Amino acid sequence: MITLGTALAFGGAAIAAALAGVGSAMGVGIAGQAGSGVISEDPDKFGNVLVLQALPGTQGIYGLLIAFIIVLNIGVIDGNIKELSTFQGLALLFSGLPIGIGGLLSGIYQGKVAASGIYLCAKRPEETGKGIILTAMVETYAVLSLLISFIMVNGVKL
Amino acid sequence: MLIGMKKATLYALKEDRDAILLSLQKSGSIMLIPENEKVSLPGIEDVGTQIDKTKDALKFIDIHGKKSSLLEPRPNISYDAFLEESDDGEKLTEQVDTLATKISSLRNEAASMLAQVEALAPWIDLDIPLEELASTQTSVYFAGYLPELEKDDFLSDIKGLLAETIVLKEAPEGRAIVVFAHRTAAAQVKHFLKEHDFTDVVFPKRTGLAADIAKDLTNASKMKTSLADELEAEAKKVAQKKKEVELYYDQLAAREERLANGGTETQKTFFVQGWVRVDRTKEVEKAVKSVTAAYQLEFFEPAEGEIPPTEMENPAFIRPYESVIELYSRPKAGSIDPDFAMAPFHFIFFGMMLSDAGYGLVLTILLFIAMKLVKPQGFAGKLAMVIFFGSISTIIWGALFGGWFGLELHPLLFVPMKEPLKMLVLCFGLGAIHLVCGMLLKVYMLIKQGDWMGAICDQISWLIMFAGFLCMGLVPGSLGKNMAILGAAIIVIFGGRAKKSIFGKITGGLLALYNISGYLSDLLSYSRLFALGLATGVIAMVINTIAQMLIASGPLGIAVAVVFLVLGHFFNIVINVLGAFVHSSRLQYIEFFGKFYETGGRAFMPLAIRTKYMNITK
Repeated sequence: MITLGTALAFGGAAIAAALAGVGSAMGVGIAGQAGSGVISEDPDKFGNVLVLQALPGTQGIYGLLIAFIIVLNIGVIDGNIKELSTFQGLALLFSGLPIGIGGLLSGIYQGKVAASGIYLCAKRPEETGKGIILTAMVETYAVLSLLISFIMVNGVKL
Repeated sequence: MLIGMKKATLYALKEDRDAILLSLQKSGSIMLIPENEKVSLPGIEDVGTQIDKTKDALKFIDIHGKKSSLLEPRPNISYDAFLEESDDGEKLTEQVDTLATKISSLRNEAASMLAQVEALAPWIDLDIPLEELASTQTSVYFAGYLPELEKDDFLSDIKGLLAETIVLKEAPEGRAIVVFAHRTAAAQVKHFLKEHDFTDVVFPKRTGLAADIAKDLTNASKMKTSLADELEAEAKKVAQKKKEVELYYDQLAAREERLANGGTETQKTFFVQGWVRVDRTKEVEKAVKSVTAAYQLEFFEPAEGEIPPTEMENPAFIRPYESVIELYSRPKAGSIDPDFAMAPFHFIFFGMMLSDAGYGLVLTILLFIAMKLVKPQGFAGKLAMVIFFGSISTIIWGALFGGWFGLELHPLLFVPMKEPLKMLVLCFGLGAIHLVCGMLLKVYMLIKQGDWMGAICDQISWLIMFAGFLCMGLVPGSLGKNMAILGAAIIVIFGGRAKKSIFGKITGGLLALYNISGYLSDLLSYSRLFALGLATGVIAMVINTIAQMLIASGPLGIAVAVVFLVLGHFFNIVINVLGAFVHSSRLQYIEFFGKFYETGGRAFMPLAIRTKYMNITK
């Protein structure tokens, strides 16, 4: 039987994967739009543009990661779903929030920086590395969100 | 290590100039300094246009014939063969250029003919030859398009008039019609036409029936297209000789560089200046001597205010890491080259972030094979080596943390996922060492400049304080506390020493102490070592779990699972190598370099033979 706590834990996993995934989707989308424009001018830049476009994609991975650990811990993967108390469930729900919200917003903003990095690469291809570094600066906060989400999930003893 | 530079001045005879420049380019040891005015030698414009032409020719060959493969290594060519310019390349380029022009003009003509055929389509049923469509003494004609909705109204409007209308096919512009009117009714017909938005048609200047003209044009266009196809087939044959065009391009580029700087000249002599590495002055001398004895070459130390270019030189193990610095910004001349201090940390951090021994093995093998095949040079080669070293580090860390393709196997140290706090302590510990290293380098730089005050008050004071914090945790008693207070005291007392007023000195000192938040956030930044390692490990776990589910679903599932495992792990490697490289570089740029690094160096770009397609062997 699925208890309220277990259901709340599902909510935590859903928030982590869905919000961070949306953030990445938007970020990669923004960067991709800029990328096609640049490639239409110079197809040889595809490699550089692809690297920049891929950067905002990591938030989705981080979200998936937290969601996976939550569903693994509550036994969805091996088929023996545990009955969590409501507070355990709430704790897991909150654990999903940092990477969910952090991933959503950092993904969008990283996408914007990636897009401007792609324009930089169009004008001065030799400076692409700097565009990549600027884009990676935004990711720091997704990484921090991931870390705190992980520590929180890890702290909920079932 | 940064290499010292000397400034060279060279006087020689003008008649020897070409030979001397060629010889200097061959030795590749001097970076010429552009003079204020009239720098380039005559003939550079021609070379420039020729280069553009060759570029276009290569582009044409890429489209029509051989695409160059990424894995193909560059062909080798000896110096002498490279410098011996034959006109084969020029002829080929000319040939490709003519072909390209011919093909594109044929295609254009064919297309414009087809457009005419399309324009004639509504008039095909007209049984009057086009040249006979003309006004006579008694009649006037109008030919053109009438909007479909207006057609019936127009026909009823002119019913009573002395006019005859032929209604033809419909076109995008409207219904094609021809109206013949008696001169007396012409004005009225014209009025009605205007009222119903009639537009005149312009026929092609040809004779005969519209249908015949259209047929002729179609045939002619087909002819031109097939001719263009033939020429393209010919182009494919020429494209086989792409290598020669590429060689020609490289030769032209080398010549352009040689001509770019001719120095200042008098009637008989010329004069150039340039930067030479301290250890290469002999090569420059030898290069000039091999051409003529009539020269004067001198080397000077850089004068006050002159900034020489920056050239780094490091042992083979560290040299690849120069690429990490080139991605950022070169060190200022006279400061220090941080490669030797940065390389070990980059190595360690890269491996920690990837932290899967299986991935490390795959990456090591793949990169080894790829580098053997392609032999990447210059920046790309250095970058490949950095990742190659990183993948070796990945094997080590993977074994320490027990990560093998996402499975847990004999961790030599501990499993980060199970003991996150231990892992965080390890990250922050490594981070602290990294930061302290950066500060010590700053201390070294300040002392070298003679700024003892700055070294003690702004750097060592912090180190004392941090050492005190460490002691507070490890050593019982008040030693740690006292050290921390001593450090903080130095910071507060001397932090505002640059300010003039007493008030400024006090607030400056307190504000300097506030910098501790900066050090704290620098330290916290190293938690990414854990987080990125976590990402690799857990995604690998996800891939394995899904594969397990697939395998459980039957024999077809096993096949799908194998494909999924290979693709999934490959994707995970690619995305995480990117992450590991970017983030371990970032830790250098922001956290480490922020402590001491002085940017602003120019690259040392000597006059040399730089090729894009060829590999020159000595």
